[in-house]
Amino acid sequence: MSIRVEQIQKRFGDFTALNDINLDVQEGQLVGLLGPSGSGKTTLLRIIAGLEKADQGRVLFHGQDVTDLDVRKRKVGFVFQQYALFRHLTVADNVAFGLRMLPRKERPARSAIRQRVNELLDLVQLGHLAGRYPAQLSGGQKQRVALARALALKPDVLLLDEPFGALDAKVRKELRRWLRHLHEQISVTSIFVTHDQEEAMEVSDQVVVMSQGRIEQMASPLTVYEQPASRFVFDFLGHINALKGHYDGRSWQAGNAQLRLTTEGACPDGELTLYLRPHEADLRKNPSDSANLPVKLGARSVFGGTVTLELEALGWPAAVMEVELSRDAWQALDAQPGDTLFVHPRQLQTVTCDGNLGPRVTPA
Amino acid sequence: MHERPRHWHQWLLILAAFAAVAILLVMPLALIFTEAFSQGWAMVQQNLTNPDMLGAIKLTLIVALITVPVNLLFGILLAWCVTRYEFRGRKLLSTLIDIPFAMSPVVAGLCYLVVYGAQSVVGNWFSGMGVQLMFALPGMVMVTVFVTCPYVARVLIPLMESQGQHEEEAAIILGASGWQAFWYVTLPKIRWALLYGVVLTNARAVGEFGAVSVVSGLIRGQTLTLPLLVQMWNQDYNTVGAFTAAGLLAAMALVTLLLKTILEWATQNTSQDSAEPTVTEQDTP
Repeated sequence: MSIRVEQIQKRFGDFTALNDINLDVQEGQLVGLLGPSGSGKTTLLRIIAGLEKADQGRVLFHGQDVTDLDVRKRKVGFVFQQYALFRHLTVADNVAFGLRMLPRKERPARSAIRQRVNELLDLVQLGHLAGRYPAQLSGGQKQRVALARALALKPDVLLLDEPFGALDAKVRKELRRWLRHLHEQISVTSIFVTHDQEEAMEVSDQVVVMSQGRIEQMASPLTVYEQPASRFVFDFLGHINALKGHYDGRSWQAGNAQLRLTTEGACPDGELTLYLRPHEADLRKNPSDSANLPVKLGARSVFGGTVTLELEALGWPAAVMEVELSRDAWQALDAQPGDTLFVHPRQLQTVTCDGNLGPRVTPA
Repeated sequence: MHERPRHWHQWLLILAAFAAVAILLVMPLALIFTEAFSQGWAMVQQNLTNPDMLGAIKLTLIVALITVPVNLLFGILLAWCVTRYEFRGRKLLSTLIDIPFAMSPVVAGLCYLVVYGAQSVVGNWFSGMGVQLMFALPGMVMVTVFVTCPYVARVLIPLMESQGQHEEEAAIILGASGWQAFWYVTLPKIRWALLYGVVLTNARAVGEFGAVSVVSGLIRGQTLTLPLLVQMWNQDYNTVGAFTAAGLLAAMALVTLLLKTILEWATQNTSQDSAEPTVTEQDTP
């Protein structure tokens, strides 16, 4: 079932939570709403679910206007951030709840309910815990019970609010792979909210980046990363180094640092800010004609195949920079903390005077 | 975290606390029973079967039996409004609930006398209908309801506040009606606290003296509850009788204390239910 959101507005007192939100989700997709806290993503999710009412705008499921349709009739499955399992009911009774609440005429027979519950618990691989109470489950297990409960009524739409928010890193990673897999199995149109970039990038078909009640960009994870629509999106997706300096038409300068490049993005007074992603630079022991960014090597952290290095600008004003090298490149560099090195950006993002993204540039 | 006392003056402080409790609380309670039994079991039996005593017990129970359900519903309603909705005057409402705590019961009794007495408009109208409010059962129930109305709400509000309403929302999304959500989700979550509130309300209703004494008119054999009877017999120099009635009240108080302890323990356990998972097995989906 496709979901369409049209011109949604929502205010809480003086605070504008959502401002003119338009969104199209195709049938069977898994969409991640990504944004910092306070960006309105949970409010949007709750409006789509019908738990919250928008001040203006419409929500359509499969072309049908459901804006004024009662929550109970929307056929929506919802997984709450803290799972909201019924603490006084067993796992099986939690999953059966929706079926038991059906009007007598529509309610399946006892045995049919039991069978459906077993199916669902098998689907989330918790059949062996049917008799447990929520307090006796781990976070990941609770999460899966919540999911099974949300799927019991065969919803047209599945909505998940920070589904992995309360889990530790390892369980998180496993569970989101599993969710991706589950979605391929049951392919119900799903929207989930997250503040974790990696999570959104890994799980979603489409990522919706939100900020301050507005949608900044909606695209595939790859597009969002490679062609960010705004400075916010660029900023939000991973760490960046912001380099502030002056541009005289041929080269960019800050103190004794210098980059030779051609661009048209600079301000009239010559100010130019460059964004450098940590993995889009090399480190060498010498400057070149096109790049002279002296730095002092600080702390390093080795994790997996990459080495993250903290670099302190030498003789030019910049915050501590972060550059990622492959393990091989790091070994080849053969440097010690305290050594003077030179950053050689492969690609930089210019920021225009009005704060938007300018063209990408390469020092040459 | 509590620490173990290490110095002698810390032990002294604890000893002083125990002594104060013994002198101020336990001894008087024990004396009630010694006094009641001072002239033997037969006397106690005679006092207990005295028609005035039986009437007082019956009246006390009737008042409590009406008061408790009324305040149970009232308390749930108030707690529901204050914790579930955001509206102008929410804080005010939550403060107003405490009026009976702040006000002397005697004053409450007098207020009711003024508002519902035979000379008032309301009282006059009722007496025209043949219903006497003051110096009769209705008035006594009314002031008892007034005095005990905060208990259930005050127990429920913090609990419901801390539990939030995600479970109710989950129930609604799963198709439950408002009533079903209350019955199958909210009520089980608050049942121990609710019982705790009921126990407190009941204890207060049974023991209420000030407000009831003002509106009862102290009519012998008609409007005397147990606390009023204690006072009456004491004035009549029927000391043993007074202490027997007091003993009954004290016994009820002890039962209340026991129930309260059990329920407090149960409430605490339910509110901590989801705090910590007891299982930490490897979580591989």
